[in-house]
Amino acid sequence: MTLAVTAVALLIGAVLGAVVAAAKLSGNRMLVFLGSVYTTIFRGVPELLIIYLIYFGGSSAVTAIGQAMGYEGFLGLPSFAAGALAVGIISGSYQAEVFRGAYLAVARGELEAASAIGMSRGLRLRRIVMPQVLRYALPGFGNVWQLSLKDSALISVTGLAELMRTSQVAAGSTRQYFLFFIVGGALYLILTSLSDQVFNRAERRANRSMPSAMGQV
Amino acid sequence: MDIEFLSSTMVTLLKALPVTLALFALSVSIGCVLALVIVWMRVGGNRYLAGFAKGYIFVFRGSPLLIQMFLVFYGLAQFDFIRNGPLWPLLREPFVCAVLSLALCTAGYSAEIFRGGIRSVPPREIEAARAIGMSGFLLVRRIIAPIALRFALPAYSTEVVLMMKSTSLASLVTVWEVTGVAQRLISHTYRTMEVFLCAAVIYLVLNFIVLQAMALLEHFLSRHLRAAPPAAKA
Amino acid sequence: MPEVPRLSVRDIRKSFGAHEVLRGISLEARDGDVISLLGASGSGKSTFLRCINLLEVADSGEVWVDGEQIRMVQKGGKNRPASQKQVDHIRAELGMVFQSFNLWSHMTILQNVIEGPVHVLKRPRAECVEEAHALLKKVGIGDKANAYPAHLSGGQQQRAAIARALAMKPKLMLFDEPTSALDPELVGEVLRVMRALAEEGTTMLVVTHEMGFARNVSNRVAFMREGLVDSMGSPQEMFGAGASPAFRQFIGHFQA
Repeated sequence: MTLAVTAVALLIGAVLGAVVAAAKLSGNRMLVFLGSVYTTIFRGVPELLIIYLIYFGGSSAVTAIGQAMGYEGFLGLPSFAAGALAVGIISGSYQAEVFRGAYLAVARGELEAASAIGMSRGLRLRRIVMPQVLRYALPGFGNVWQLSLKDSALISVTGLAELMRTSQVAAGSTRQYFLFFIVGGALYLILTSLSDQVFNRAERRANRSMPSAMGQV
Repeated sequence: MDIEFLSSTMVTLLKALPVTLALFALSVSIGCVLALVIVWMRVGGNRYLAGFAKGYIFVFRGSPLLIQMFLVFYGLAQFDFIRNGPLWPLLREPFVCAVLSLALCTAGYSAEIFRGGIRSVPPREIEAARAIGMSGFLLVRRIIAPIALRFALPAYSTEVVLMMKSTSLASLVTVWEVTGVAQRLISHTYRTMEVFLCAAVIYLVLNFIVLQAMALLEHFLSRHLRAAPPAAKA
Repeated sequence: MPEVPRLSVRDIRKSFGAHEVLRGISLEARDGDVISLLGASGSGKSTFLRCINLLEVADSGEVWVDGEQIRMVQKGGKNRPASQKQVDHIRAELGMVFQSFNLWSHMTILQNVIEGPVHVLKRPRAECVEEAHALLKKVGIGDKANAYPAHLSGGQQQRAAIARALAMKPKLMLFDEPTSALDPELVGEVLRVMRALAEEGTTMLVVTHEMGFARNVSNRVAFMREGLVDSMGSPQEMFGAGASPAFRQFIGHFQA
């Protein structure tokens, strides 16, 4: 469940991130400003608050919509949706910065060379820009994944039965807090170190064209 | 916009500000000292200490802060020897548990950041110092630490900002800091948007102050990187 | 009583893995000697120099500085210095100038020069500052005392590095290809300083490719080949009729 939430959140984040990065990179002042506001707020405000905002605020919104449609009573925003949305919005702001940095890191010379041989913008984007952006973005992306993985623990406050919540419930009912939290912690550790290895391998593969800093005297 | 509600919310939230600040200041300072100890273990020659430090960093960076906090708050209380021990009056307090857990967590991240700084010190400059006859603590104090600090500062300022945000988790172990109070307000008044706005503003201002302070420090330490002042005519 | 040589190196051997870089080198430097160490890349010249002040640790052999031997022990199968304190003390008596200058970039030139005297030799700061200014003037960058290394040209940085080494009042100066990293037009100013030092009687051991310096300034030239000293003698001998065939072939590359 933890993985599912994180994955969905990351997807939401990727979409948002790409949009916001594009906004910040466009020269349009309004777009840049809006993009900056987004990244500043969602990187600067504690995740917990944002989760409260989405969960409680979202629930209020859904209830209001329900009332407008004639349904009385409280409608809760499903915790998976709230959790994924919240973490998605947060990771989106980090991803925007990663994409922006990666895009800026692609050397201008390479872009010019591509134009010089007559590549159209679309082709250039696809063949030159994207692969490089991916390569530069990978370390940052690995970070965002780890971050979101740990943020997903916070979603437990919305009652979603993900890893954190399950540990909490088990611990509370058996009063064996230490044991269950240690186990929970260990499971997270396994998740993060596995992710680490996957990303390291991906990075090495993506960077196979770059000279290695290792092995130099 | 209900100004009256906004301002009363603001006042309520600001009353919790000292708690947030205390959590922040204590955990950052304790965590920084702890991180220096850990990184010293990590880069020292002793295999066992280095292994311990490596493990420490792995655990505290790989697991969520929330679990760490719950472990300290709920988990420690389980053990008789802690409940009967001399530190119990301290360890019962949610505030102490929160600070302890925050400090342990940031020590893990900060140790890794400091280690990155140390690795960035150009070996040539260390060699020049050794060639003059420096070694041991003198070498660390005069050459390695100052250079490592300058390299580590950008990453460390990010970490400090993250610490400011992490104080919000203390609300989940019954510490009444800003986020905890905000959550209580939301569940009483159901006016999520306004409360969120006020709380968000507080955190954004705090972050801004921290970032400015860090930027000032960076500026002060990087005189050697800036362009030469216009040469005075001889 | 025979004069104690400033430096006496006996039978230094050093291998990196399976590759034996130094195969038994011996050298002696008396007070006032200016010895140029020549050789092709990979002949082991820099490694040899660095074995003297223990930036590299030789696998076997002895190093004596001014009659004092650097004590070594066998620890874990490897040759190690017996006392870090002695190593520091010896290093403080040997000045080293590096190919890449190796100035401390976060300190001003003045701070670079006084760092050793103040913190290693523990001499009073005011004295060190005064001497530092004099040294900087001597190497020709007296006005750059408060500049940072990044603001100086390569030649100026190297001269600052020389001043830094001189500030320790060393018994012997080691130069590791001091001009190899410099643009051609900046080489001259550094060589001039080195020449002045030689004429003052500084004992110098210089690894270099500058044939002019080797011929005209040094009083002895050693040619290294494949980890051994192939031949050694005065510049007249070495560059004249007495040159070994290997050496003649080597300097053949340098006649344009």
